[in-house]
Amino acid sequence: MFKRGIIQMKLRTIKYMVREGFSNTYKNLLMTLASLTMVISSLLIFGVFLMVTVILSFNLRQMEKQIAEIVIWLEKDIAPLEADDIELRLKNDVRVLECNRITKEQAFAELNEALEDPSLLEGYTPEFLSESFRLRLKDVNQIAEFADEAADITGVEDIDFPKDFLERLALILKWINAGSMFILALLLIISVSIISNTIKLTVYARRKEIGIMKYIGANDWFIRWPFIIEGIIIGLVGSVISFVITSYLYNALESYVSSEAVVSGMSLIRMVPLKDIGGQILFVYIIIGVVMGVVGSIISVRKHLNV
Amino acid sequence: MIEFKAVTKRYSNGAIGLQDASFTIQKGEFVFVVGPSGSGKSTLLKLILHEEVPTEGEVYVNGFSIHNMRRSEIPYLRRGLGVVFQDFRLLPNKTVYDNVAFAMQIVEAQPKEIRRHVPVALALVGLSKKAKVYPDQLSGGEQQRVSLARALVNNPSILLADEPTGNLDPAISREIMYLLDEINQRGTTVIVATHEKSIVDDMEKRVISLDYGRIVHDVQKGNYTNEA
Repeated sequence: MFKRGIIQMKLRTIKYMVREGFSNTYKNLLMTLASLTMVISSLLIFGVFLMVTVILSFNLRQMEKQIAEIVIWLEKDIAPLEADDIELRLKNDVRVLECNRITKEQAFAELNEALEDPSLLEGYTPEFLSESFRLRLKDVNQIAEFADEAADITGVEDIDFPKDFLERLALILKWINAGSMFILALLLIISVSIISNTIKLTVYARRKEIGIMKYIGANDWFIRWPFIIEGIIIGLVGSVISFVITSYLYNALESYVSSEAVVSGMSLIRMVPLKDIGGQILFVYIIIGVVMGVVGSIISVRKHLNV
Repeated sequence: MIEFKAVTKRYSNGAIGLQDASFTIQKGEFVFVVGPSGSGKSTLLKLILHEEVPTEGEVYVNGFSIHNMRRSEIPYLRRGLGVVFQDFRLLPNKTVYDNVAFAMQIVEAQPKEIRRHVPVALALVGLSKKAKVYPDQLSGGEQQRVSLARALVNNPSILLADEPTGNLDPAISREIMYLLDEINQRGTTVIVATHEKSIVDDMEKRVISLDYGRIVHDVQKGNYTNEA
């Protein structure tokens, strides 16, 4: 009999609570607006930081992709059929994104172009060079493992890829990720405490009501739910408004960056298109907004329930 | 129905609320708890409501052991009790009707039941015509009657009144007391804490007198001083 908690609430009680939650949100308009402002500003700070992190790591990853080229040198005197075999094998590997075969002639031409004085190569034929493959992988992280495997293929002389650079980049990305997680978590905690303080004001204004409810015999959940629903409403509305503001700012930044790119012919920063991350950002906003509202409400009501 | 066994209540600041109090109140009784301010009247009512717990001794109310009770049980204890306070404690943003209906919503009553019982409770306290009015448009006596209706609408077995006439003038106070008596006639146990001598002497009910937290008299058909 005493176990009746959240789960077994009657439908009309749920209706009552939802109605109460909505009408309280509306009746305490000033407090609602104060909480809403808090939610929006927290989310915007959070969002700007999130964007910076996303763009930064996106750009670093782009850079990583550009740099992460593996060159596989074949033995100089390899039989053409064997080289074909290796090419087939590399091209059929699921991890490989693209694979270009550089013949001796191509390599010779490239070398010729790279050397400013063509006379240096006089008397040489392409035969003194090795054939090679230039590969890109789908997943840059597999590069070391892939290089190790490729080195064991018979007919492969040597493997070349920017090992140190990639390792350093991976480390930087790891730190950026860890750091941003930490700062985002910190921001979240600060936001929750600010919001719970704001909601505390609304709860304080209604502490008499809570006291009366306790005396009449309302259980804790009955009192808590309308506040939680109020928190959900504020969180939802706040996150949607924040999202609209964020996407507006993001689009503005994006068009600025691309117009810069048109003028200068190149762009240092590449933006992730909003449509690719918009859904995720909205989702994150809603989750955070609602969590802030709900946790804030629960924290604020707790003190007044002990009557 | 209500039993206090050697109950002592000491507050954390050292103040004594109640000392070695033992008494029993049977179903259907009408009891005044009297004594000067700070004598322990409020403590006694708070213990029945589980607003406070005894430091020593045992308190039983409607089968609940107040001295040894889970937090989650408190609402169920209170649903069997109606409470009326000196300051009425009505919700200012709800109409008279809604204030009374609210007590039924909390216990998840059927809407049909609510529609049936609220008018009856309002009729009982003589406020049928003021159902749609907000509390601040009512006089003190009327507000106290609303709070009475709210206390009664769930048919509690016990009605507790803490200085119910403390804010009312004598004529209105008398009215409220007659109302309480009427409620008692219908079978509800009524416990009234008060320090208004004239009312107590008038009603000739059981009187428990407190002084410095001790029960000094417990007399059937008593009066305020119990010296006669």
